Amino acid sequence: MNGNIPALFRTYQPRETPIECTIWEAARATSAAPTVFKRIEIGRGKQPFIDGGVGRNNPSLLVLEEAKKLFGPRQLGCLVSIGTGQANIISIPKPGLFQQIIPTNIILALRSIMTDCEETHEEVLKRFASLPNTYFRLNVEHGMEGIQLSEWEKLSSVEAHTVQYMKREEVDKKLASLVAAIRAPRGQLTIEQLGMDKHLINLNHDSTLLLSFSWASNQICTTH
Amino acid sequence: MLGRLRMDLDKAIENYDELTEKVFSDQKWWGDGKFKATKLEGVIKSAVKDVTGDSESPLVENEEAGFSRT
Repeated sequence: MNGNIPALFRTYQPRETPIECTIWEAARATSAAPTVFKRIEIGRGKQPFIDGGVGRNNPSLLVLEEAKKLFGPRQLGCLVSIGTGQANIISIPKPGLFQQIIPTNIILALRSIMTDCEETHEEVLKRFASLPNTYFRLNVEHGMEGIQLSEWEKLSSVEAHTVQYMKREEVDKKLASLVAAIRAPRGQLTIEQLGMDKHLINLNHDSTLLLSFSWASNQICTTH
Repeated sequence: MLGRLRMDLDKAIENYDELTEKVFSDQKWWGDGKFKATKLEGVIKSAVKDVTGDSESPLVENEEAGFSRT
């Protein structure tokens, strides 16, 4: 399995050769979490794709790389990263009765990857350490640990935990400075100088850019 | 939904609610994946068709529209 090479599905024309596909194919490829949905083959080469959660649950660094490629010399206003909950929150369902063929290494990889969101967050925090009010991460910290991604009937409880989270004083303050940063971006540094969740990069041109891409991994080998 | 389809938040949440219920209320017991990918494909296609008029719309938008509006 080569989950470390992310394939970016872009809604805009990239400089490199794009993956040619339809909207629904991209949505499928980026939802193909192992054990949840079967993988999908798209493009001319009929390449198989699995969901990028396997390699990158938190794409902040990918977003910065992408922004650097697209807008190198422009100044960065702020980066907003929205998590899906504290690590372990989205649990991958156990394989079904006849799914023992799913390689255990994938299952194990999924477990360890649950922590990669927070590691990436720490890394991004470091890069923005000298720039107050530039990087914001929102992530519901408590209450969603046991909710599986397939438990649609628990959406109201997801909502309740999120509302609770947003009421916390420090989160409320963070939201206020986030809104201020988006409204009046102060370009402090170019993306290039920086060294390098849905993520919002706000540039210093009164334009808010929602970098709209999804990612998936090329799954090269399957070990049945 | 928010990106390429440019739905507003309320619309996206409404769509997501419907989508998850349709896709995850029915488990399968054999084969690769616990839920039916064809069902997921069906609901995504219908959401795409709702917005663009064509369920087979390409992912890449034309140059200018590629970035979200201000």
